[in-house]
Amino acid sequence: MEFESIEDTRRKLEAAGYIASREIATVVFLAASANKPILVEGPAGSGKTELARALSACMNRERIRLQCYEGLDEAKALYEWEYAKQLLYTQMIREKINDLISEADSIADAVERIAQQEDAFFSERFLLARPLLQAISADQPTVLLIDEIDKADPEFEAFLLELLSEFQVSIPELGIRKARHIPMVILTSNNYRDMSDALKRRCLHLYIDYPYPELEARIVRLKLPGIEERLALKIIDVINRIRSLDLKKRPCISETIDWAHALKVLQISEITPDALSDTLNVICKYKSDAQTVRNAADRILN
Amino acid sequence: MHDNERMTEHDNQAGGRLTRTILKFAAVCRAGGLRVSTAEVIDCTRQLGWIDLAEEPEFRAVLRTNFAKSRRDQGRFDRLYRLFFREPGGAQHANGDTAAPETLNEAAAETLIERALQAVDSDDPLNQSLIDFLRGAPESFLTALRRLESREERAASGMKSNLGQLSGRLEILLAINRLDAAIGGAAGGGIGAGSGDQTGNQAGGPNRGVQPHPDQTRTRQDERISGAAARTLANRLDTARRMLSEDTRPDNEALKRVNTHEARYGDIGEKPLSGLTPDELIRMQAIIDRLVRKLRDRAGRRFSAASRGPLDVRKTLRHANRFQGIPVMLQYRRRPPKKAKIVALCDVSGSVWSTARFMLHILHSLQACFSAVTSFAFIRETTDITEIFEKHDAGAAVERVLASGSIGFGTPTDYGEVFHQFRRDHLHLLDRRTTLIIVGDGRSNYHHPREEALAAIREKCRRIIWLNPEPEAFWHTGDSEMYTYRAYCHETRVCRNLNQLVDFVEELVV
Repeated sequence: MEFESIEDTRRKLEAAGYIASREIATVVFLAASANKPILVEGPAGSGKTELARALSACMNRERIRLQCYEGLDEAKALYEWEYAKQLLYTQMIREKINDLISEADSIADAVERIAQQEDAFFSERFLLARPLLQAISADQPTVLLIDEIDKADPEFEAFLLELLSEFQVSIPELGIRKARHIPMVILTSNNYRDMSDALKRRCLHLYIDYPYPELEARIVRLKLPGIEERLALKIIDVINRIRSLDLKKRPCISETIDWAHALKVLQISEITPDALSDTLNVICKYKSDAQTVRNAADRILN
Repeated sequence: MHDNERMTEHDNQAGGRLTRTILKFAAVCRAGGLRVSTAEVIDCTRQLGWIDLAEEPEFRAVLRTNFAKSRRDQGRFDRLYRLFFREPGGAQHANGDTAAPETLNEAAAETLIERALQAVDSDDPLNQSLIDFLRGAPESFLTALRRLESREERAASGMKSNLGQLSGRLEILLAINRLDAAIGGAAGGGIGAGSGDQTGNQAGGPNRGVQPHPDQTRTRQDERISGAAARTLANRLDTARRMLSEDTRPDNEALKRVNTHEARYGDIGEKPLSGLTPDELIRMQAIIDRLVRKLRDRAGRRFSAASRGPLDVRKTLRHANRFQGIPVMLQYRRRPPKKAKIVALCDVSGSVWSTARFMLHILHSLQACFSAVTSFAFIRETTDITEIFEKHDAGAAVERVLASGSIGFGTPTDYGEVFHQFRRDHLHLLDRRTTLIIVGDGRSNYHHPREEALAAIREKCRRIIWLNPEPEAFWHTGDSEMYTYRAYCHETRVCRNLNQLVDFVEELVV
């Protein structure tokens, strides 16, 4: 087993640069022990993808990422036959094929002879493995990140079920491919739509919320060693106040870190209304949000 | 993986008890409205073997990750968990060790319950479920509460209100109070004529130091236990009372609330839609038309970039003829565009009369923008107006809808009825690709909101977006059921001027 206990999980994640709450550590520990996928929900920028990165780092596994989007299909996610290569090979070995069928006395016989060679064209050589197939057929165990599963079509979700419960995929021409090693699977969702019950049933569920201030302060300190304690606390305080405003997109932990970075690079050690206004585009991703924050700047900073 | 051989007989017994507790908790979760499958119970029980059960947060995390599989369910799970493991009534402690005095207490409580049963009608299912609740099996009580939520009005027409729900609550509350009184009486009467106070006997109370008669000690002891048991039961009933008044709506934190927008069209953009002059209406129509054209182009461009399909062998071979049969140019199949479907429900009643016209304009432009839009107008009943919109251009179509007799102008809006009807008659229109847009103020004239119908609709579609022409400060004032319905929407937006509308339509396409 990868992790010995929940505490061990937490320590290893922290060594990989991810500060996990007790709940996160527990779920990760269970998932690693039970070989179950984790379905991670939470607001954008709360560290869902980061969790997968940290896991691959601390488990010392390769990370394979599949970004979901509308219209994603099996050919992009699982495997594809490399038609171009197949056609090219057909051209190159045309002579050989001619030899093969030259002795045939009827067309039916010729077809029969070619059919016998069919396997040559539908073999691993011409199979283009996409992320899902890569993940289960890798020589070493991997971490498979299926990012923003809620953006994919419901059909795709249905097709994932076989992979997630049996860790196998069926390729009509080659048969069923079982996983050599069971990958650690992380699915992330922004709650754009609800997942189907069947998918939820196969996963452990984890919700990552906005971190509470102490945790966020620890994360900032970890990501930006040497940041002034006073400044770090002020940053967290301001961000928390901004979160309470009515915004299109509330800043999350990744925005906090970006902002702290920006302040460090600009060598700003005191957050004044001007400083906030200058660096606001790091925190707010919409023009109207930035305006809302500017209007409330006095309230936020005091 | 785990060393089973080390499991002793004792461990086995403890494991059995743990399994029973988990099974019971799963039953409570199901009664409380969570969908927990057997597979999940099995997983959970297995996983509990790997953690330190003395660590309560971890124990809880294991249960939660298995039983509540979406953010919406977590609030409900937390309530049930508190009830089952934390409340004095639930008394199912994670480590499972029950101290001896507590057992004694349980026995005394049981006697009290038996006595109280004689005072109340024990055949009444409501009383029965409360008794079960006191005995630590809250399933039937939870089911009763849930039935209350989804209670349907008996009268299918005529005057309706949500009084049925309220009176249902009152009925349960009265039953709780009766039982409370019965238990109080049982505890007081059973001890004997001498002691008037049932609860004032604290351990070691006023007669410390006095050496009582052994017989008397015994009575005192009984009294104390009985009093403690009565207190425990009273606490449990308090819990039941609290659960009755608790808001059990799912925690809808993923709800997108949009109240901000970009100020684009200076003069006309910020004017409330209800106050537009005919002249401005025409200008606005032009802006919307332009927007629709722009969006259509954008959707088209995106399609051409993303629509490369698998290889089209036939086409490739045909092209290969030009190069002596060598397939130099590969041809790909184009996929027909997958179109997002939209079903729109638009309130055209008197309370939104000033904006109804405009809302219909919105619907009309939506229909122009997306290929598969089905539009309904409603007041008390839904009317399909898709065809009218298809045949006529904006202005004429809106006039036609407002003039058509089938909508039933003059009757009060009843959102509950509309959702109920929609679920009954039009649910087949929804699938996982469909976005349902509801346009209205959510003012239901104090009719029963029937939120469970909306919850069922949510299960079937991809997104529910609610556009409300009222500013957010007015939501949930008076007869507005906006906060009730909000728990089931994916997104709520204030939409009272052109800028907000343009923002919405753009985001819908993106």
